[in-house]
Amino acid sequence: MSDEVEHGSDGAWSPKVVAFVCNWCTYTGADLAGTSRLQMAPNVRVIRLTCSSRVNPLFIIKAFERGADGVVVSGCHTGDCHYSTGNYYARRRFAILHDLLEFMGVETDRVTFSWVSASEGNKWQEVVNETTARIKELGPFRTLQGQKGVEL
Amino acid sequence: MTHRFLSHASLTALVAELVAAKTRVIAPVHATDDPEQVDYRPIQTLEDAALGVRLTRGSLKEFFLPPTEVLLHYKQTKEGIEIREVPTVAPPQVILGSTPCDAAALEVVDKVMGWDYRDELWFGRRDASTIVSLLCAAMDSTCFCSATGLGPDSFRGSDALLVPVQGGYLAHVITPKGEALLQGYAEADENMKASAEALQGEARQKVENNLTAIPAEFSAWLASNFDNPIWKTIALRCHGCGACAGVCPTCHCFDIVDEHDTADEGVRRRNWDSCQTSKFTLHASGHNPRGSQSERFRQRIQHKFSIYPSRFAEILCTGCGRCTRACPGGMDLPKLLDELMTLAKTEAKGSDTQGSSL
Amino acid sequence: MKELQELARKLLNDGTVKVVIGYEEGTRGVRPAFITDAKQADKLIFDKRCVQNLAAYLNPRRKQVAQLGTPAVVVKGCDARAVAGLIREKQIERDKIVIIAMRCGGVLENPETDSELTSKTVSVRCGGCDVREPKLHDHLVGELPPEPPVNNHRVEQIEALKKLSSADRWSFWTNELSRCIRCHACREACPMCFCVQCTADKTQPQWIDPSATPRANRAWQTMRVLHQAGRCVDCLECERACPEHIPLGLLASYVADSVERRFDYVACEDPAVAAPLGVYKTDDDEEFIR
Repeated sequence: MSDEVEHGSDGAWSPKVVAFVCNWCTYTGADLAGTSRLQMAPNVRVIRLTCSSRVNPLFIIKAFERGADGVVVSGCHTGDCHYSTGNYYARRRFAILHDLLEFMGVETDRVTFSWVSASEGNKWQEVVNETTARIKELGPFRTLQGQKGVEL
Repeated sequence: MTHRFLSHASLTALVAELVAAKTRVIAPVHATDDPEQVDYRPIQTLEDAALGVRLTRGSLKEFFLPPTEVLLHYKQTKEGIEIREVPTVAPPQVILGSTPCDAAALEVVDKVMGWDYRDELWFGRRDASTIVSLLCAAMDSTCFCSATGLGPDSFRGSDALLVPVQGGYLAHVITPKGEALLQGYAEADENMKASAEALQGEARQKVENNLTAIPAEFSAWLASNFDNPIWKTIALRCHGCGACAGVCPTCHCFDIVDEHDTADEGVRRRNWDSCQTSKFTLHASGHNPRGSQSERFRQRIQHKFSIYPSRFAEILCTGCGRCTRACPGGMDLPKLLDELMTLAKTEAKGSDTQGSSL
Repeated sequence: MKELQELARKLLNDGTVKVVIGYEEGTRGVRPAFITDAKQADKLIFDKRCVQNLAAYLNPRRKQVAQLGTPAVVVKGCDARAVAGLIREKQIERDKIVIIAMRCGGVLENPETDSELTSKTVSVRCGGCDVREPKLHDHLVGELPPEPPVNNHRVEQIEALKKLSSADRWSFWTNELSRCIRCHACREACPMCFCVQCTADKTQPQWIDPSATPRANRAWQTMRVLHQAGRCVDCLECERACPEHIPLGLLASYVADSVERRFDYVACEDPAVAAPLGVYKTDDDEEFIR
C-alpha cells in the first residue's frame, strides 16, 4: 500500500481502511454481505487470517505505519471460535492494545474491533460503512511518513 | 595561534548574525526533561545557551554522524532501479561552547572515516562546521581527559577555544576557520592572557588526578593479554545495553539497512550500532564469536585502547566520562583503566595478582 | 547488613551457591556485585540507594553470569516479582537459584543526587508497596523499615496526559520518542526481556524498522510495552538505562494500570499464578468491541 493520499471519484480524500478478519466467521459474513449485494464503502481492504487471535498488535501498528487511516479487526463471537478459545485470548490482547493506542494519541475511532458471525452480512455492512464514515470525519491518519522517501 | 578578546556583546551579535544567515548554531542548552542537565541543541540566540554549566549528556556525534541517516533512495521501475544519492555537501553549522573532549573526538574519528574509504557524509559535515570550544571547568570525578593526552583547555579539534574572562572570553584562535568566524567580532587582547592561563591551569589540576596518563605500552599489554582471565569477571554487571556507545563521542559503528515504503520504493539508511549488543557479531551461520558479555566488553576496551591505537596511533577515547555516567550497571571506565594499568605494571614486575576486585 | 553478609558467607562457604548477586558500594554510588569469594562477602550492602533490579542477571542469556554457577540473588519485593516472572515463564528453575529477600522501606529514584526518602525523592513505585516483606524467598533478611513515602509524580503525569486531546498526546509521544536512538538499552536492562531473538531484530520480514525515525521509534516502544503487558514489574530499569532520558515508566505504568483495571491482575510474586495475557475469562469485558 503506498502512502499516497487517495482520492475518491469526487476528488475528496478517501480513507484507507485495513480489515484483519478471521476466516471462519467474519470473512464468511463479509462474503455474505457481498453476495447479498449490500452497498458498502469501497475503502476497506480485507486481509483474511485463520483466527482473530492470529492478529499480532504489530499488524495494526504496521498498517498505520504504511498508510492506513483506520483498522478493523474482526472475528467470531466469543464462544463460537472455530478453534474454541482463540478469540478469548485475542479479546484480552485487543483490550490492552486499545488502551495503549489511546494513550499514545491514536483516536479510538480509528481502530474498530468487532465480532461478526458468518450469518451477519448486515452487521459487516454496518461495520464497514460506519467505520469509513467515522474515519472520513477524523481525516487522514497523523502519519509519520510524510512524503515518500523523505527523511522521517 | 593567536589570542583575542571576545566580549559577551560581540558573541551575542555573532550568534545573531549566524542565525540570520541560516547557519545552524549548536550549543549546550538546559534539558527540557531536567533543567539541571544540559544537551547540545540548536539555538536561536546566545541567551538560549547554557555555556560552561556542566558536561552535556550527549556528545557532538549526532551532528556529524546522526543516529539515523538516509544514504540513498531507491525505486524499482519497469526500466530498472533508480538510485538517488543524498547530497554530501552539508549546510553550514557552528558549534559553540563544546568541551575540548568532544572537539578532539571528532579529529580522532576522522582517522577511520578517511582510512580505507572516504566517508563523504561525515567529511561533508566536518567541512561545513566551525567548532568554538569553551574551557571546561565543570569536570567531575568521572572525567579523565588528561589521561588520554588531552585536557580541559586542549586545542585539538577546535577552530577556536574560549576561556571566560572579565567581560567576555579570551579567544584562542586556532585555525583559519576560527579566524574567519571571529573576524570582526574579536578584538585585540589587552591583558586577559594571565587570568585566562590561571583558569586553564586550575582546570587542568582538577582533572589530572582522576587518572594517570595512559602509557603507550598499555596498548601492547592489552594486545598480549587478550586471554587474561580478568576479562571473565570485569564485566559481570554490564547489561550489554549499548548506552555507553550512544553517548560516546568516539564510538562510530553503524549498521546499514534498507527500508521500503512500498514494495518498489524505499531508502537505504545507516544507523548507530554498538559492539556491546549481543547480535553485533552474530554470523548468518548462527555462530557468534563474541557470544558473552565478557567477550563483548573486552572488545570495547581492546578496540579503544589497543586496536585503534595500533592502526591510527590514537586512543579511541577522549576521557569525557559519559559512558560511566550513562551506565545503568555501574561500570566505571576510569576506575577500570586504573585497575588494568596497575595489573599491567604489576605483571611487568612479575608479581602475583589476585582476580579483579571490579 | 551483617545478617546479609553472614548469610552470603555461609552460602558460599558451604557450596550452596557459587555466586551471590547483590549490591556493593561502587565508585559512583551503589552498583551490582558478584561475590564469588566468601572473603569478599562483607562488600554486600543494602540500603535505600539499592534501586537496581538484580533479577536481570538471572537471565540465562547472560552467559558470563550463568557460567559462574548456582546464584543467590538479593531482591527487594519488586525484584522478587521479576524473579517470579522468570520462573513462571520457565527461564529459570526455582530450585536452581537461592533468593535472598530484603525487607525494604523504599528506594530513591535518583540515588546519585538524593540521600533522604521524601515524597519527592522516593521512587514512584514505592508508595503503597505491599511486598515490603517479599514472600518469594529462601531467606528473608533485615529489619523492616518504616513505610516509604508516596511519590505521586507519575500518577499526576499520567492523569495530565489523559486529559489532553488525542492530538496533543500524539505530539507528546512523538516529541519524547524523537530522542530515541534505538540503542535498546531499555530492552537489555529489562529482566523480562529475555527473548533470544527480539521482534525488533527480525529482518525477514522487518516488522519494526531498526532506524531511529519517528515512525519506527513509536512502533518499537509500543511493541515493547505491549510485550511487557502483564509481565512488567515496574522496576523502572528501562527508564534508568535510557541514555536519552525518555519517560518509559509512563508507558509501563499505564499498561500495568490497564491490566489491573481490566483483568484484576498485578505482577505478583507467585510463579504459579498465570500471567493475564496467557489466560482468559469467558466474561472478560468487551465494551470496546462492537
